[in-house]
Amino acid sequence: MSGRSGDWRTEWALRAAAAALLGVIALVFVTVLVEAWPSFAHNGIHWFLPGGEPDQEFKAMITGPQDPAHAIWTFHAWPLIWATILTTGFAVLIALPTAILAAIFIVELAPYPVRRLAEPTIQLLAGVPSVVYGLLGILVLAPWLEATFISQGRKRSVAYVVQLTGANLTLAALILAVMITPIMIALTVSALQTVPRAWTEGSSALGVNRWRTIRRVSLRAVRPAILGATVLATGRALGEAIMLNMVAGSRSFAPNPLDGTTFFFEPVQPMAAAIVRYIEAISVPTVRHTLYALGAVVLVSTAFLSLASWAVKQPLKRYAARA
Amino acid sequence: MQANRQRNSTGTGERGATRRGPLGRLAGAVAAATIAPLLALTVMATPALGGGRALRIDGSTSIYPLMTQLAQAWHNSTHEPTPHVGQGTSDVGINEVAHGRVDIGDASRDPEEGDPEHLVFTKIARDGVCMITNPSNKLANLSQEEVQAIFTGHVREWSEVPGATVSGPIDLVDRISSSGTQDAFQNIFLGPTLKISPSAEAEESNGLVQNKVRHDSDAIGFVSFHFTPGTNPVGYQGIACTLRNAKSGQYLGVRNFWMVTKGIPKGAAKRFILWITSSHNATARRIISSNWIPIH
Repeated sequence: MSGRSGDWRTEWALRAAAAALLGVIALVFVTVLVEAWPSFAHNGIHWFLPGGEPDQEFKAMITGPQDPAHAIWTFHAWPLIWATILTTGFAVLIALPTAILAAIFIVELAPYPVRRLAEPTIQLLAGVPSVVYGLLGILVLAPWLEATFISQGRKRSVAYVVQLTGANLTLAALILAVMITPIMIALTVSALQTVPRAWTEGSSALGVNRWRTIRRVSLRAVRPAILGATVLATGRALGEAIMLNMVAGSRSFAPNPLDGTTFFFEPVQPMAAAIVRYIEAISVPTVRHTLYALGAVVLVSTAFLSLASWAVKQPLKRYAARA
Repeated sequence: MQANRQRNSTGTGERGATRRGPLGRLAGAVAAATIAPLLALTVMATPALGGGRALRIDGSTSIYPLMTQLAQAWHNSTHEPTPHVGQGTSDVGINEVAHGRVDIGDASRDPEEGDPEHLVFTKIARDGVCMITNPSNKLANLSQEEVQAIFTGHVREWSEVPGATVSGPIDLVDRISSSGTQDAFQNIFLGPTLKISPSAEAEESNGLVQNKVRHDSDAIGFVSFHFTPGTNPVGYQGIACTLRNAKSGQYLGVRNFWMVTKGIPKGAAKRFILWITSSHNATARRIISSNWIPIH
């Protein structure tokens, strides 16, 4: 009898595939960080701080001297970072309660015909390409938003600094929320379905009413899954480039909370959208390194998000349903 | 134990070696039969990718509609492969041709000091740049002082502009910095010292400016003449922005279209450029005359 198992070839093939995948991921990280390094090196900590407007800084790079000795490296990415934080934050803020409530409805309260209809619909919505959402946003929602919320008085109040249009922070956050909610609903629904019936029935037997059971037993049991869904949705929102490039506005502006409600209607440009916007100019060396630097920040944020969610999940698993 | 071991035709033998049965042989034959023609096709296609490959052209979004028509017409008349045309804006096209990433760059602005070296600019046409407003704003004409005041941001209300039929804050629509149309507009209408207001929103192409102005009643922008349908073109210095006025030279907002090559054009690029600029070529001249100004 040979010492190896009968299907050792399959084992080795699968090991090779896993190693190749890890190798590709490592290669991506290394390439992006190496190409991004010059931009960080020339700017230091100021790369992350406010101090200039990215549109004007890219313009200086493209139209300025192109030889390595005199090339312009100055870049302050804060407006882009702030825009990413705002759009992702607001989108998750809108999507999370919506998704949880919708999932509770589908699992606990919906009659069977409604549930049969809801699940394929949600999967369909989750599969719609983001560029379609972008088209609908820029052609239909942006003019409506401009006509309804952006009065001339509001435009005049910030006219010396920025122009307000329908493509702004609100539109970006809304469409991003519509994009990430179906994924979150689908994941939360499948998690809620794994809560043991013994727990919920036991809670009812003890005299706890339905809503309280849902809140204190079911939701508590699926907290790790909800966290996982949120992280997945946030990762998708962080990386959304083309759709945000279309709907977020045509200027890399950092919205000012002190503007009151006008804050929600100011144009923004998240980091991934900025990469798309200036990708055509990538043959300019300084622009190339700056775009890679933006990509590196997005990559590292997503990796950090995964790590943080793993860390936060550990204590939550005490009360969780074994999925 | 021996009796229990099943010996089927596709099972494993004693040492872990597999013996192929008839089904396995059939599968192998089908796989070989599909892969071989694919390999052959790839080998056959390589000469088309090698010597007879299509030209790569990139650059101005203003030249893009003209260049796609010329490329198709050249393919129809000479049967050379249809050139691939992109529209990454003028500065991008110039940079790419200087680095050899494309064969020809389209520039809708004149050569500048900061351009890469050893580039040859060949003029192929001229084009009118019109200022446009929303159709509800039937502004007929702007003088040079009014244009400069509006686009530098000194005048911010339509009520201060004589001839405007809307009242509201002026929404300036600019282009991104790599645009040749923006350079041409800056040079012709604003002059060497004035700059467009930085609070203006920057669109990536002529088409996006046209879309924005169509939907916003307070907007004003500038586009290549080809992109004026659906908007209200504004006259300059008393002359309306029409193709006829641009051809006659009365309308002042006219700039050159260039095809840029690294060094003197060679090979397929040379044939294409000669075909476009030839004075005996009625097809090319007809295409150019439809929305642009032929140079001879």
